[in-house]
Amino acid sequence: MKVLSIGWINVHRALRDRTGLFFLVALPLMLVFVIGAAFGGATTPVVGVVGDAGALSAEPAVQVRNFPDESALRTAVEHGEISAGLVRTNGDTPRLLVRADRTGQQLRMLVTTSLTREANRIAAGEFVSAHTGLDRTTALSVVDSVRVAPVEVRVSTAGRVLFPEGYSGFDLGASNQLIVFTFLNALTTAAYLVETRRLGVTRRMLATPTSARVIVAGEALGRVAIALLQGLIVLVGSALLFGVRWGDPFGAAALLCAFALVSGGAGLLLGAVCRTQQQTTGAGILLGLSLAAFGGCMVPLEFFSPVLRKVAFATPHGWANDGFSTLTRRGGDLFTVAPHLAVLVGFAAVLFSLGAWTLRRAVTR
Amino acid sequence: MTVLSCSGLRRRFDDVVAVDDVSFTIAEGETYGLLGPNGAGKTTTISMITGVLERDAGEVFVDGIAMSTHAIAAKRLVGYVPQELALYPDLTGRENLRFFANLYGAGRERVDHVLDVVGLTERAGDLAREYSGGMKRRLNVAIGLLHEPRLLVLDEPTAGVDPQSRNQIIENVRELAAQGMAILYTTHYMEEAERLCDRVGVIDSGHLIAEGTRRELVERLGERDRISLLLDGDLGHATAVLGAIANVRGVAPHGQGLELVVDDARECLPAVLAAISTNGVVVRSVEVTEPNLETVFLHLTGKALRE
Ligand SMILES: Nc1ncnc2c1ncn2[C@@H]1O[C@H](COP(=O)(O)OP(=O)(O)O)[C@@H](O)[C@H]1O
Ligand SMILES: [Mg+2]
Repeated sequence: MKVLSIGWINVHRALRDRTGLFFLVALPLMLVFVIGAAFGGATTPVVGVVGDAGALSAEPAVQVRNFPDESALRTAVEHGEISAGLVRTNGDTPRLLVRADRTGQQLRMLVTTSLTREANRIAAGEFVSAHTGLDRTTALSVVDSVRVAPVEVRVSTAGRVLFPEGYSGFDLGASNQLIVFTFLNALTTAAYLVETRRLGVTRRMLATPTSARVIVAGEALGRVAIALLQGLIVLVGSALLFGVRWGDPFGAAALLCAFALVSGGAGLLLGAVCRTQQQTTGAGILLGLSLAAFGGCMVPLEFFSPVLRKVAFATPHGWANDGFSTLTRRGGDLFTVAPHLAVLVGFAAVLFSLGAWTLRRAVTR
Repeated sequence: MTVLSCSGLRRRFDDVVAVDDVSFTIAEGETYGLLGPNGAGKTTTISMITGVLERDAGEVFVDGIAMSTHAIAAKRLVGYVPQELALYPDLTGRENLRFFANLYGAGRERVDHVLDVVGLTERAGDLAREYSGGMKRRLNVAIGLLHEPRLLVLDEPTAGVDPQSRNQIIENVRELAAQGMAILYTTHYMEEAERLCDRVGVIDSGHLIAEGTRRELVERLGERDRISLLLDGDLGHATAVLGAIANVRGVAPHGQGLELVVDDARECLPAVLAAISTNGVVVRSVEVTEPNLETVFLHLTGKALRE
């Protein structure tokens, strides 16, 4: 397939370029790490609860989120939205679902300790009430009034760890980096397309028994493939290296594909319009960074004024950003992000049509 | 059999008419040279023939297939070696060839074959940007040969290369022509055109102003071969003897000797020398002048081919 040949040659060239690879692989993952490390301590782990949270809601080290039923809770744990879920229905033994990651293990300890302490308090209350004749509530308040000074333990850290203990803030930066770099690198690698045209390779392709339509489609495919690769590197890399949670996998995959289409389309248009490689890189960085800023990838959308929020949702970045937030923070799935997907695909369609038309004109004159 | 036939080719860029009413044909096994100064319209003509530039008027047939209606089928028969080095510098020679082999629908074995033809087999795994200028040119030519075209179009394939690569390219072209490929060749270099081309078209300001073999063009201008002799002895007698030889059109005194105007200097030189030596005249030096394409060019356009 000639379209695949032309598409592949673009990916091949991008993978061969050492400097390009740094921007494609190393830099985005480094940023996920740096931003995660900077904000990591600030977030408290969330435990999902079906039923009565009890003493857990008073625990400073965890945040409780209530779930209507066990299946919703299980899905949330499986998707990594939360690291642990507690099912507590009247009379039954409490059941805890935990993820096999660091936060999950941490929460398991916390929840067990908290539940044990709660059981101890009630047992002590029963004991007081039985021996003094006080009613339960008064007995419990007597128990609560007894203050045990916490045992003082002096802790010092020994050895070195790659990732600080209790690390959990990577999630915050990862989707932003995915959006910023997928778009940015799709634009800057459009310089390959400009080079191909300038060298006369595109004209040469046209001299082969290959129609202009196939050549344009191949170049477009190349742009999308590079964007998709970039997005996958951030998504899979951050999940494997730093345990970043992306929420519903289908929703995340669909958002990634839609945003790669937008990025590829923008790259195609830029590569068709620009005359020199320097122009392409310059315009790519400018556009890539400013759209990222307006789209809420530098400062969270929540901090935007109402006017700026309108601006944000005029950019594909704003939609992708909100889409990923919906998945990771609001428990969304493929259907909840359908509007985001539709808008992104719309952006992509416009960019591709313009890009293909311009490139075809530039090639055939 | 005619492989390429183009007629009435015309193309304008804004207010410049780059090519105007250009027509010519090339037969199987024939090498046709398109000669003209910079900006004459050679590349524009070639681009229309290879189907990479739209024509304002005119038609191109390759093996009877019209470029206007059956572009893909026609392009399958044409190999194109553009003026610029149209290859990916960050891929190896072999990767470049494989890519274009895919586009031409040529097999993998053709890649190895053309590498061998242009003498790049040993460097096939190196990046194209690490090649010397001559090697890049040879790779540029190799791409045009991948699909065994009926017509090979080369646009200044030897511009700025070392003599070794140039000879290699010229030898390649010769062999391909000998195998029956029709060849369209543009160049700045007269010697190349004279070595290679069976027929020549002279193009200037977008017009094809003359066409023919070198000898035809030269004779049309009234230019003749000349033999200048520096002699010791009886010049008067020598004049009479030499004037009697067939093919000698005129004899005139020329400094210390004579100048002969002849039909074909190479052919009649032995007769001239023999005639003189049997008449007691000593030849001190001989100079043969064959009017070349450079002369033709200067005549036709008032310009030197290379500025
Ligand atoms: N893409 C173009 N746009 C505008 N003018 C062009 C273009 N290509 C060629 N020309 C003009 O057409 C004329 C012929 O150019 P060209 O065919 O490249 O000449 P040659 O190959 O003989 O040097 C020149 O005057 C050149 O400036
Ligand atoms: Mg030219």
